Amino acid sequence: MVYMGQLTEVRPGHRLREEVIGFFPTTIRALLGQLPASAWSVLEEVRLRVHKPLILSRAGGETMLTGEGLPTGDPGRAYRVSEEDVVRTVELVTGSSLYAVEDELRQGFVTVPGGHRVGLCGRAVVEGGRVRTLKYLTGVNFRISREVQGVADQVLPWLIRGPRTMYNTLIISPPRCGKTTLLRDLVRQISNGVPRLGFTGLTVGVVDERSEIAGCYRGIPQRDVGLRTDVLDGCPKAEGMMLLLRALSPDVIATDEIGRREDVEALEEMLNAGVRIVATAHAASVEELGSRPVLRDLLQRHIVERFVVLEYRHGPGAVRRIIDGRNFETVEAIQCSR
Amino acid sequence: MFKVAGALLVIVAAGALGLLVAGSYARRPQELRALQSALSLLETEIVYAATPLTEALEQVARRSESCVSGLFARAHAGLASRTGSTAQEAWERALNEYYPNSYLRPDDLAVLQGVGKILGASDRQDQAKHLRLACERLRTQNLKAEEEARRNVRLWRYLGLFAGLAIVLILV
Repeated sequence: MVYMGQLTEVRPGHRLREEVIGFFPTTIRALLGQLPASAWSVLEEVRLRVHKPLILSRAGGETMLTGEGLPTGDPGRAYRVSEEDVVRTVELVTGSSLYAVEDELRQGFVTVPGGHRVGLCGRAVVEGGRVRTLKYLTGVNFRISREVQGVADQVLPWLIRGPRTMYNTLIISPPRCGKTTLLRDLVRQISNGVPRLGFTGLTVGVVDERSEIAGCYRGIPQRDVGLRTDVLDGCPKAEGMMLLLRALSPDVIATDEIGRREDVEALEEMLNAGVRIVATAHAASVEELGSRPVLRDLLQRHIVERFVVLEYRHGPGAVRRIIDGRNFETVEAIQCSR
Repeated sequence: MFKVAGALLVIVAAGALGLLVAGSYARRPQELRALQSALSLLETEIVYAATPLTEALEQVARRSESCVSGLFARAHAGLASRTGSTAQEAWERALNEYYPNSYLRPDDLAVLQGVGKILGASDRQDQAKHLRLACERLRTQNLKAEEEARRNVRLWRYLGLFAGLAIVLILV
């Protein structure tokens, strides 16, 4: 066991409730508003599907709500989402501006003020073999994004190399394990500096393609990402990295969910320029990462010096493993009971 | 003495009434033109800048002529309050408040209600198509309104004055 840092949830349950229920129509607002703050602080997703029960999911389970807003496990008694509910939710999460989120819609989700990600499902409109947009939206998955400061405390000592430098780091985990939360806290601490480890802050450039890391609204980060951080919001990763490199001379570049060939090429470009990298990728393990052609390259060329692997056991970010990028041996396993 | 004062009063009142009616004929084309340019401002905001609707409405309210800016300002306020209303609802509420105090006709109102039905609810191309169509319809209404105004403005101006004179002559 390693030193357990102090974890602080930046927005406690009741504040999260106020922030999130504004994105739902009054019918659903009434149900969600009755959930106690304690339930809100563990809530991860709110799922709406036309004519199906409203489902809330939290770490390790899910629950439905009756028409009176009480938790139930019986789908027969659960509140059924109407078409109107979904249409209104879509209106609210897109700010009544479907046209303004066209690009995001093509990827299937939009990011709302506060940094929450809302997945949308419906019928795809295809043009020339590519998804142009979605219509007849029937499913909504509101994923509540949390900002937990201090989650990076335990992994940081393994990622820092000296007072002004760090290892190229890749965070890998399956979805919903707190990848982005960890990345955000890492960025904040790298940017602010960590006196406890004798680490002075570095200039960090964040390419935030989906506005999830900094949760920018109109370009201003809604999350604390540190004092030496520049956020390039809504920009495609590969292009964004090059732009940051040219324009803002960062020491470290951070980005979320790399996976395309051009992302990896851009990462190499960063290395050539002497910039350090912190990134995340979808995978359950380093081996799985190796089975993806694009990312295999990253492994074979030993570009990444430290892997942080997250596993979903008792909740997000529960188990972490730090793996050396040269010999793929586990440097440290951290068990944390959050 | 009182007779002269009374007669003058009648003439002035009738003349003013005529001017008022004439004014309402002249105001409608003016308002329709202002609406057209406001809608094309909105189209620019939506299609070229992809500005979110709330902001776009605010911009239009700020930049359009005072006789129509109230409509956009109200619609913006309705959306920005985050009470869970849709763009269409906010727009219709704004229209309901704006219409009675405007010089618009039911035909014009129908065009604006049509705008509410699509506002923000589709992609850029579609928004552009609908907004342009609405502008086009307002333009034809405007042509008719101008024609009507040309005929009626002069008529009502003189009608008021002469009606006043006639009343005075009859009473004297």
